[in-house]
Amino acid sequence: MIDFAQNTIDGIMIGSSYGLLALGFTLIFGVMRRLNLSFGPSIMVGAYLGTLLYLNFAAGPIAVAAVTVLGAVLAGIYVERLCFAPMAAGAGIASMVSSFAIWMQLEQAAILLLPRHTYPFPSLTTGAPLTLGPFQLRADHLIMLACALGLSAGLQLLLYRSRFGLALRAIIGNPVAAHLVGINVRTAVLGAFAVASAIGGIAGYLVLATDQQITPMFGMWATIKGLIAMMIGGLGSIPGAILGGLVLGCLEAHSQSYFGPQIRDLSAYILLFVCLVLRPGGLLGEAPTRETIDRRRA
Amino acid sequence: MLDVSNLVTAYGKIEALKGVSLRVESGRITCLLGPNGAGKTTLMMTIAAILKPRRGSIRLAGTELIGLTPAQVVAQGVALVPENRLVFPQMSARENLLAGAYQRRDKVAIAADIERMYNCFPRLRERSEQLAGTLSGGEQQMLAVARALMSRPRLLLMDEPSLGLAPLVVAEIFDILAKLNRDGTTIFLVEQNAHMALKVAHQFFLMEQGRVTFQGTPGELAEDEVIQRAYLGTRRGAG
Amino acid sequence: MDDYLIGVLSNIGVISFLALSAYLLLLTGEISFGQQAFFAIGGYAAGIATALWGWSLTAALLWGAATGAAAAVLVGVPTLRLHGLYFAIATLAFAEMMRILFELFHYQISIDGEWVGPDGSDGFRNIRYIFENDVGPVQFLALIYGLLAAAVGGFMLLERSRLGVAFRMIGEDEVLAEMHGVAVARHKVLAAGLAGAIAGIGGGLYAHMTTYVEPRIFDVMLGVHSLAYGLIGGLGTAFGPLLGVLIDIGVLESIRTFAGFRMIIFGGLVAALLIFRPRGLLDECVVHRIAGAWLRVWGWILRSASRPAGGGR
Repeated sequence: MIDFAQNTIDGIMIGSSYGLLALGFTLIFGVMRRLNLSFGPSIMVGAYLGTLLYLNFAAGPIAVAAVTVLGAVLAGIYVERLCFAPMAAGAGIASMVSSFAIWMQLEQAAILLLPRHTYPFPSLTTGAPLTLGPFQLRADHLIMLACALGLSAGLQLLLYRSRFGLALRAIIGNPVAAHLVGINVRTAVLGAFAVASAIGGIAGYLVLATDQQITPMFGMWATIKGLIAMMIGGLGSIPGAILGGLVLGCLEAHSQSYFGPQIRDLSAYILLFVCLVLRPGGLLGEAPTRETIDRRRA
Repeated sequence: MLDVSNLVTAYGKIEALKGVSLRVESGRITCLLGPNGAGKTTLMMTIAAILKPRRGSIRLAGTELIGLTPAQVVAQGVALVPENRLVFPQMSARENLLAGAYQRRDKVAIAADIERMYNCFPRLRERSEQLAGTLSGGEQQMLAVARALMSRPRLLLMDEPSLGLAPLVVAEIFDILAKLNRDGTTIFLVEQNAHMALKVAHQFFLMEQGRVTFQGTPGELAEDEVIQRAYLGTRRGAG
Repeated sequence: MDDYLIGVLSNIGVISFLALSAYLLLLTGEISFGQQAFFAIGGYAAGIATALWGWSLTAALLWGAATGAAAAVLVGVPTLRLHGLYFAIATLAFAEMMRILFELFHYQISIDGEWVGPDGSDGFRNIRYIFENDVGPVQFLALIYGLLAAAVGGFMLLERSRLGVAFRMIGEDEVLAEMHGVAVARHKVLAAGLAGAIAGIGGGLYAHMTTYVEPRIFDVMLGVHSLAYGLIGGLGTAFGPLLGVLIDIGVLESIRTFAGFRMIIFGGLVAALLIFRPRGLLDECVVHRIAGAWLRVWGWILRSASRPAGGGR
C-alpha cells in the first residue's frame, strides 16, 4: 500500500514534466493545426547549450536554466521560420516532414557541440529528500509540480485575459477571419512558438536537472512523451495536457515499479492506443468532428 | 474613395481577375453583381490582401493598398465581412466583437462601440455570452457585420451577406446596411441577390468572367436585364 | 560491382518497400508513423520460417507478407474511425508496442547444437539462408529489384484500376467517396492490408539481407523516414517514394566526406525542398505533365508509323 502511494506520488511528480511538454505541444498544435516533430529536439538544443555553459564555466543552476530556455526559444523560432512560416495553406504534411528533417539537423548539431554520448547536467537542488511520514518527496520533483500547475494557470490567463491571447484564440478559431480583423497572424504565430518553446525549455531543464545527465536521445524522448500526454489528455486542451501528463506519469511509475522499464513503455503505448481508439478526443478534449479533422488535415 | 485599376489576380495559371477597374464613391453603397465564378469574391479577398494580385493597383483615398499585409489594410480603414461569415466559433459573441477591435487600444471607446453594436443588433446583446459557433446563420451574419464595424472602417466590404439566409433575415440585413450608410459608412457590396441589392445601391457594377462589363446606376438598365446578366452572364449567350 | 555498391543498392531496394507501404496509405489520405511494425513482423516471420522451420525463401517471403498483412488488418479495423493526427499517433503507438513486444519475444530452438531464433532485445541472429543456399549478393540484389519491380508494376496497374480510383477518392474526401458509392471501410482495410503485405515482404528481404534483425532497428525514426520518402520524392506516382529513398540513402552515402555535418546539410536540403515543392519532387502536376508529353510522343510515333501505310491507299 505504501509502495502504491509512493509510486503515485513519484508518478504525479514526473507526470507534471510530461504535462509541461504536452502544454507546449498543444499550444503549437492549436495555433498551427500542424504537428511540430522538432519540438523535443529544439528543447534539446537549449539544454545542450546549458550543458556547454556548465561544463566550460561551471555555471550555476539559474544560468543553465536561463540558457536552456533561451536556446529552446531560439531553436523553436528557427523551426517556425523554416518549417511552418513559408508553407502554403494545405501543406500540413510537408510542414510535419520538414520539422522531422530539422529534427535530424538539430540532433546532429547537438552531437557536434558535445560529441560524447552522455554528459552530466547540473542538478537543481542538493540534499536529502524530504520525508513526510512513510513517504519521500524530492525537492526538485516538488518544483516540477509547482511549475506545471503555475505555468498552465499562467497560460490559461494569457489566452483568456490578454490581447495576445485573444489573437491566438482568433487564429485557432479561424485563421482567415483573424487576418480580416487586423491581427498580424505571422507575428502572433511566432509568439506562440516562442511561448511554447519556453514552456518546453523549462520542462526540459527540470527533467534533466532531476536526471542529472543528458544524451542525444533527449529530443526524441521529449517529443514522444509530450505527444503521448497531449493525445491522452485531449488535443488543444490546457487542463487536458496537464492531466494527460499526470496520468501518463502515474501509469509509468506503477508499471516501472512492478514490471520494469520495458513494460513501463509498453503500457504507455497501450494506454495511448486504447485511448485513441475508444476516445479520440482524449480525456478532456472534444471528440474530433469532420470539420476539425478537415482543418487538422490541411 | 476606392480606386481599383487593371487588377489581375490568378490562381496558378488561371486568371480569376483579368484586369478589373472600378471606383467606389465615398458615402455611397456600391454593389457588384455577377454570376458564380465571375471573380467577385476574389476581388474582395484581393482588396483585403488575403490574396496577392499579379498586377494593377488598389488605392484607398490615394494610398496604395497592394503590398500591405491584411492587418495593415485594416489599419487603413478597410474591413471585410467575408463570404460564409467566418466568425470565431469557439469565442463568445462579445469576444468576437473584441477581436474586431483588435487594432484599437482605446478600451473605453471599444466598450462604448460594443454597446452601440448591441443597440444596432439587439439579438447580439441577447447572445452576447453564447459561443458564436452556436448562433443561427442570420445571427452569425449580424455578428460578422458588427465585428467588421468594430474596427471603425471608412470602407466596409461585404461579400454576399444574403447567402444562405431566409428572405426575412435578408431584408433585415439590408435595412441595417442602408442605416449604416445613412450614418456615413461607405459600403462596397458583392451580391447574388440582384433584386435586393438594386434596391439599396446607389451605383452598381456587373462583373463577368473576371472583367467589369457594365457600370451604372439602378434604373439605368432594366432590372430583368441586370438579373439576366448577373445570374447567367451575357458572353455565354452571345458565344 | 564492388560489395559496397551492392550493399548500398540492396539497402535502397529493401527500404523502398517500406516507403511504398507508407505511400499506399498516403494515397488513401492517411499518415502512418507505424509501417515499420509490419516491416519488423515480416522480417521476424520470414526469418523464423527459414532459420527455424527450414522453409524455402519463397515460402518465407510469402509468409512474411501474409503476417504483415494480417497484422495491418488487425490494426486497420479499430483505427478505421481515426484520421489525420489521430491515425498517425495511433499507428505510432502500435508500432512502438510491437517493438517492445519484440524486445520481450524469445523463441529459440537448438539447431546443430546452436541456439537460433529471436532472443528479446539481443535480436535475432544467424538468418543464414542465403549463405547456406549459395545465393550470391548479386543474385539477392536481383531478387530484391525483381520483387520491387513487381510491386511498382502493381502500383501502376492500381493507378489505372477502379480500385486505385477508389483509393484516391477516399484520400481526397472520404464522405464524398462514400456518397459516390465507394465502400470506404472495406477499401481502407484493404489498403491497410496491402500496405502491410508490402512492408512484410520488405522486412523478409531485409532480414535475409542483413542476416540479423533486432527490435531497436524498427523504431519511430525508421517509420518517420519511410513516410518522409514519399513526401520528398513526390506523391504523384509510385516512383516518388523510390526517388525519396534514392535521394536519402544515395545522397547521404555520397556526402560521407562531410561526416559530422551530413544530417545538417541533408536536413536543411529537405526542409528547403519542401518549401518549394510541398508535395515532393514528382508531385501530381509533374506526373501529369510527363504523362502528357509521353502521350504526345507516343501519338507522334503512332502517326509516323501509320503514315506510309495511309499514303499507300
